Amino acid sequence: MFEYILTADFIFSVIRLSTPILFAAMAAVIGAKADVLCIAYEAMMLLAALGGVIGSAYSQNLIVGMLVGIASGLLIAGIFAYFVLYLDTTPLLAGLALNIFGAGLTVYIVFLLTGRKLDTSVLPSLKFPDVHLPLIEDIPFIGDVISGHNILSYFAILTVFLVYYFIFKTKLGLQIRAAGENPEAATSAGIDVKRTKLIALLISGVIASFGGLFLSMSQMPYFTTNMTAGRGFIGIAAQNLSGGSPIGTTIATLVFGATMSVGNIAQTFRLPSQFASMAPYLMTIIGTVVVGMKARRDEKKIKHL
Amino acid sequence: MMFNSNRVRTTEKIENQFNIVRTILAIAIALGIAFLLIMTVSETPLADFWTLLSGPLENRNSMITIISKAIPLLFTAIAISLVYSAGQFNIGAEGAFFAGSVAATAVAILPNIPTIIYIPLSLLAGAVVGAIVMGIPAVLYTRYNSVTIVTSLMMNYVALYAGLYVILNPLRDQAAGFEGSYAFQATAKLPSVFTNRLHIGLFIAILVVMFAYFLLNKTTFGYRILAVGNNPKFANYSGIKVNKNIILVTLLAGLIAGLGGSVEVLGNYNRFMYTDFTNHGWDGMMISVLCRNNPKYIIVGALFIAYLQTSADTLNFTSSIPPEVINVVQAIIIIFVAANEFLKRWEHKKIVENSQKSLAIGEIN
Repeated sequence: MFEYILTADFIFSVIRLSTPILFAAMAAVIGAKADVLCIAYEAMMLLAALGGVIGSAYSQNLIVGMLVGIASGLLIAGIFAYFVLYLDTTPLLAGLALNIFGAGLTVYIVFLLTGRKLDTSVLPSLKFPDVHLPLIEDIPFIGDVISGHNILSYFAILTVFLVYYFIFKTKLGLQIRAAGENPEAATSAGIDVKRTKLIALLISGVIASFGGLFLSMSQMPYFTTNMTAGRGFIGIAAQNLSGGSPIGTTIATLVFGATMSVGNIAQTFRLPSQFASMAPYLMTIIGTVVVGMKARRDEKKIKHL
Repeated sequence: MMFNSNRVRTTEKIENQFNIVRTILAIAIALGIAFLLIMTVSETPLADFWTLLSGPLENRNSMITIISKAIPLLFTAIAISLVYSAGQFNIGAEGAFFAGSVAATAVAILPNIPTIIYIPLSLLAGAVVGAIVMGIPAVLYTRYNSVTIVTSLMMNYVALYAGLYVILNPLRDQAAGFEGSYAFQATAKLPSVFTNRLHIGLFIAILVVMFAYFLLNKTTFGYRILAVGNNPKFANYSGIKVNKNIILVTLLAGLIAGLGGSVEVLGNYNRFMYTDFTNHGWDGMMISVLCRNNPKYIIVGALFIAYLQTSADTLNFTSSIPPEVINVVQAIIIIFVAANEFLKRWEHKKIVENSQKSLAIGEIN
């Protein structure tokens, strides 16, 4: 089996499978920096996935599709932010409610448009293009790994750096961190904490939306109901494991992507499909334990000093 | 002094009244949005909306369906209200319910067990597995401070796929012609009560609700759970072992959720046939939120959600409206009920007015 893992195809598929999770995880990084426990990324992705399909199918324009998708994801982010920040709703419950809302509403809309509840395969929706990088494409192995991905996969990697830069190098990023870490101090420094958190949540809504767009306009050629399948949650887990650093979160995401990919390969070796499906979730729990054990050890070391 | 205590009581009364108003208004808003959704699909929106509201009341059969649908929800709602009372956002009831039903299946299909212990043993197996599924995130939280929501969510999926593996491999009945387990032994099935569509799970569920009410309100353990939930630091200072109590209450909740899964499959089916999450855990969470984790109201809450689901099914049967409309309704209800500041200004105004009034009376006297 190992000869299958050390191939260009394998690494290629890790990047492909990690893309939607990476968007969700980056959204979660910003949400966590603002100290808002948001689990509604699942709903944002789902609505964005459907919005993108509908927008592109009816306009036959990829950009319009993308914008409709982002607007749909933003709608969920906006509702979440309004209820959590201005109506004092427990974030967990708001997120939970919105996930149920998103799952129900998308089925409803799919039925409304197609008369069926399973998918939108009858709609002529568009796909984001794959990109073949000139020159790099011709390098053996590396070319096979790096070139030929969907444009959104490259954008996901770019997003990691953008998020890093945004959080640590811009004024707004600093304000978001201040509002998250110490709201009282931020207020006394003249920051409108609620508004700052609102902006942070809207930005993470846009990022999560790209994850949804990737699912329905690249990984699959159409929308299927509940197609996010917990990826929003795995994104949160990746953020959580790495304590919220964009680079660490990316590494955690790639580990999850690799787990999924190994699971897929193992399936061809007649390993029951349930184990392949279970792998990323189990990996998250194991990851939590490993990180937790390390934290405990560090704590003990500090005590000994 | 007398007026003071009087005033406190009326303020509390106003708060309670507003909680009810909030809930009713949330339901009204949700139904309003449901009506708008129905209008987009239906050519006879008014009639269909009426079916959504009153469909289940029109025949006795649907009333039984409501009760039957409410039974499993009571288990998961109680499980969630217990962990939430301890301030633990453990959403593993979904996985515990599923894995519990798988474990009960595994026992219920075994040949050659003495007849009398089939049911107790199946239920016990389900409950224990449920406790394991919900308990692991609690142990990880207390030992490694990992985030319970994330780990319990992941546990749900692990429980789902592990359960499906067991059902579709060792327990699968190839002769069934579909993806299901071997048939349960006849003696493992829960006996019916009243009609053949209800089973003794009804009484087990009611006992669980009463047990939870008693536990939270009348025992020291319940007091400790609530203390941990209100303020873990304070609970710790007052000598309560926070971690131990968190683990204990979560295990108890898992037992109840797993028991619910077992009761549901052994009461209503002849073999295990789920292929995905059953959503009982999420629905239970919703009920628990609606009832503010108070077991006293959970029977009403479970009947309400079961009512909505039954009317959605009726609607699906009589019109082309997808029953998913009810998910939207449920979600809107939760988000408004959970919104603490919703109508808060109005409530404050009432409380202030009321206090001023009683102060004025006090001055006159």
